[in-house]
Amino acid sequence: MNAPAADDTTRIRDYLAARLPGARDLSLANMQQIAVGWSHETFLFDASWREGGETRAQGFCLRRDPGNALLRELSDLGEQFRVLECLAPTPLPTPRPYWYEDDPAILGRPFLVMEKVPGECPNPWGREGRAYYAAAAARGVLPASFTDALATMHSLDWRAAGLDFLGVPGPGRDFALREIAKWRNFIEATGAAVHPILTDLMCWLEANAPACDRLTLVHGAYRTGNVLIDDDRISAVLDWELQVIGDPMYDVAYVLSDLNREGTELLSNVVERETFFERYEAATGIAIDEDVCHYYHLLYAMRSAAFWMSASDLYARGASADLRLARTAWSVPVVLERAARELGY
Amino acid sequence: MDPVDLLERIAATLRHDVGPAVGADYPRTQAYMASVVLGKLAGELRAQPAHSRAATAEADALYADLQAAARAGELPRAVVGAVEAAARERSDAHLGRLIEQLYAHRDALGVVRFAALLGRIRQALKARLARELEYSA
Repeated sequence: MNAPAADDTTRIRDYLAARLPGARDLSLANMQQIAVGWSHETFLFDASWREGGETRAQGFCLRRDPGNALLRELSDLGEQFRVLECLAPTPLPTPRPYWYEDDPAILGRPFLVMEKVPGECPNPWGREGRAYYAAAAARGVLPASFTDALATMHSLDWRAAGLDFLGVPGPGRDFALREIAKWRNFIEATGAAVHPILTDLMCWLEANAPACDRLTLVHGAYRTGNVLIDDDRISAVLDWELQVIGDPMYDVAYVLSDLNREGTELLSNVVERETFFERYEAATGIAIDEDVCHYYHLLYAMRSAAFWMSASDLYARGASADLRLARTAWSVPVVLERAARELGY
Repeated sequence: MDPVDLLERIAATLRHDVGPAVGADYPRTQAYMASVVLGKLAGELRAQPAHSRAATAEADALYADLQAAARAGELPRAVVGAVEAAARERSDAHLGRLIEQLYAHRDALGVVRFAALLGRIRQALKARLARELEYSA
């Protein structure tokens, strides 16, 4: 984590003061800019003020559009805010949203402010993170909570929550075909030459799209690293950037994927396969279809290729100076090798 | 100094000398990533002459086989056209269009011919991917 620029801190304080007109002696403390994630800048801070003769305190999380974010075309902060508003009254643990501003005059670019939820989010790819999840898995509470949160998401009445603004797929194969079309457009937007193996993969996906007979809210990247954990329980599901209304197996496949675990058989580094299956199916009444999950693993390969192509394109056309994006150009063949094996090359 | 050797030398300097001397997280990561990128570029450039020769020989064989298949069997006209265009242009875009045509005419081709034609293309692509992974992985 890094300390943000002093100018940002001052402007955030001024914004908050305007939003809390009854607040006196407003001060910010513990300001941090989280240095992870490629899509949005994230600031965490604690505010305290006096109001009506009382001292008040509240933790906030502010996400700002950096202007050149990966996935920017797919999920802007306005949509993220709207999703959080829809989810706030539901049983799914998510940060309470406070304000969204699209006026660049305030903080330079659009941003949203939400609750700073207690908890931690260890990086599952590092040694410390792996040790954290292994220890939590052994205690047994987090595996259940991780599974239950996904089951809760897949059991939500998304129409009643107002989430149909995300777009509702038609019956049959429409969900998978819409996802393929979305990522195909994303790939084409890079203007980069498409590797013929990726073309083969896209054609195969279109030819073999599964039918979906039950639509749920789908997070799109449900794994450790995208959830906050407090006292071994999921305190908030984060990273609402890829959500869709679609096939719950899309999320289940992500949990089952061995791409989301490292050096362990535990799904997403935290839950035993058998536990996940039993608990998820019992809570949702949805039978896990492993053939469909296998299909979605290949769709994720296409999505990964699209991510990496878009990321390296951001660097190549000078929209970002982050060399981590330049490096992703060489990640595409690695993703395609995996897909090629799955396709029977 | 050979340009590829120079790139590798710079990559090593960034990794072993510059990176460790940088205090802040982000610029240190950037130094390390610069090292990785230059190392991969060097690997790609070093492999390029041999890979280029292999790619040419492989494309010669692939398109000879596909053109022979196009002449031997009654393939849909669009597939034949895509084979000829891919053989002539030898670009990823044209090979991609041929793959798309195979899928589009899968029923007309039948299971066996579809699998044979796509399988032959996949054989060539697998070899290409193996070369790309020499410096990408």
